[in-house]
Amino acid sequence: MEKMEERIQLGQYGPQLWTRERAREIRNAVAKTLESLGPGDVLIMDAKGVEVFDYSFANELFGKTLLSLPHEYPGRFFIVENLTKYTRENLSKALEGMGLMMIEKKEKKLNLLGKVNPIDEQTFLAIARPKKPMTATELKEELNINLNAANERLSKLTSLGLARRQNSVSAAGREQYEYSVLA
Amino acid sequence: MITKLDSITFDTLLQEQDPFGSGKGRFDLKDVQLITPAALTQLAAAVHALSGDGLHPEIIIEQESVRTYLLRAGFIEILRAVAAVEPPISHIMSYDRLRGSNPMLIEVTRIETGSALPQLLDKIVWVLRHRLKYRKYDAFDVATGVSEICQNTFDHNRGTCGFLAMQVYGKGAKRFLEIGVADYGEGIMATLRRNPKNLDISTDVDAIREATKLGTSEHEDPTRGTGLYHLLEITYKHGGSIQIRSCGGKVRFRMDKKVGWTFVVPPMPGVQMAFTLPAKTRA
Repeated sequence: MEKMEERIQLGQYGPQLWTRERAREIRNAVAKTLESLGPGDVLIMDAKGVEVFDYSFANELFGKTLLSLPHEYPGRFFIVENLTKYTRENLSKALEGMGLMMIEKKEKKLNLLGKVNPIDEQTFLAIARPKKPMTATELKEELNINLNAANERLSKLTSLGLARRQNSVSAAGREQYEYSVLA
Repeated sequence: MITKLDSITFDTLLQEQDPFGSGKGRFDLKDVQLITPAALTQLAAAVHALSGDGLHPEIIIEQESVRTYLLRAGFIEILRAVAAVEPPISHIMSYDRLRGSNPMLIEVTRIETGSALPQLLDKIVWVLRHRLKYRKYDAFDVATGVSEICQNTFDHNRGTCGFLAMQVYGKGAKRFLEIGVADYGEGIMATLRRNPKNLDISTDVDAIREATKLGTSEHEDPTRGTGLYHLLEITYKHGGSIQIRSCGGKVRFRMDKKVGWTFVVPPMPGVQMAFTLPAKTRA
């Protein structure tokens, strides 16, 4: 089934975004959009034109949305793009402060922002790189780790809303999970 | 004798005149020749707290230059309904039209919601860029810090409000800016202790120190409790200093000595901050 992608232009709310109160207004629009999406669909927060936001704004908009994903909108992706060097630094610090991470799309490449541990980053990049979904067995071979570790790593990224999991059938006819990032 | 009322001598004033304990709510400023923005916002918060206790505070100001400054700084207007100035000042309206016209000053401004903040922050960004030679993103950093402390004044309090004022001092490389933000709410300790996790916080100084740590909040919410932590980071990054006062405790943080000096001070409701930043020198 074709996955849907919705985009919210953050710049429409102004170039300088201050206060938790302001973020709360925008989060209502985000929640409405997420409700219209199904599992596997993507909401892109396009930060083009935004010069600055404070930490309270970032915590309320990005933090609360990310925290709500696993429970309220399971399987949906929330990613950010068109950050400037400054807004990226501030969003990253805000996410770090909350112990969260999220996907950033930058020049067609995907990477993680926030409190990113090297293992999660390695796993994320391994499944983001190929054009097709990856199984735990393939990840095991790619990163030279054992199968349990590969499964644990993939489960963690899936539960954090950073990877998509779908059912598939292996060449031997067995049911298996395949993992991808927005593919 | 206090001739300069700032965030330090304000405590001397409270100690000597005891406006909260005496039951009179009287502030004798007749020897004062200069009042800084932080002291102005503290005084505004103190007077509102006393008024909330059913008093009609009295502020004695005799120096004509100070009286004029207080008019110009919007202080008299903000106090009109809750306090008396002695001798009385009658020509308030002539200064109202000047509000916002001095680029080196933000008049004492009441903060009740976030809606007034963007305009104030824009002005702070402008002053930092054009008067203190801050680069655009450095100015945004500072505005971010100020935004966090201003939001605390209404986020954690009910039925009270906050005050903000700003003034640029000095010339050239010696120029600096002071921002005062004050409220008369319950203070940091009482606020933090609403969260059972923080019940072991037993002094105001400890509460201030805890509040500057990442994640300490009245709420069980990972998106809270980051404002003062980031504010300190910003203060250090830009070579500034900040004093955080809450009820009977005070901590001063300076970028060159990150530990922070602690003081026990005469009790006063709420949280009051004095934020000082130097001018930048650009090659």
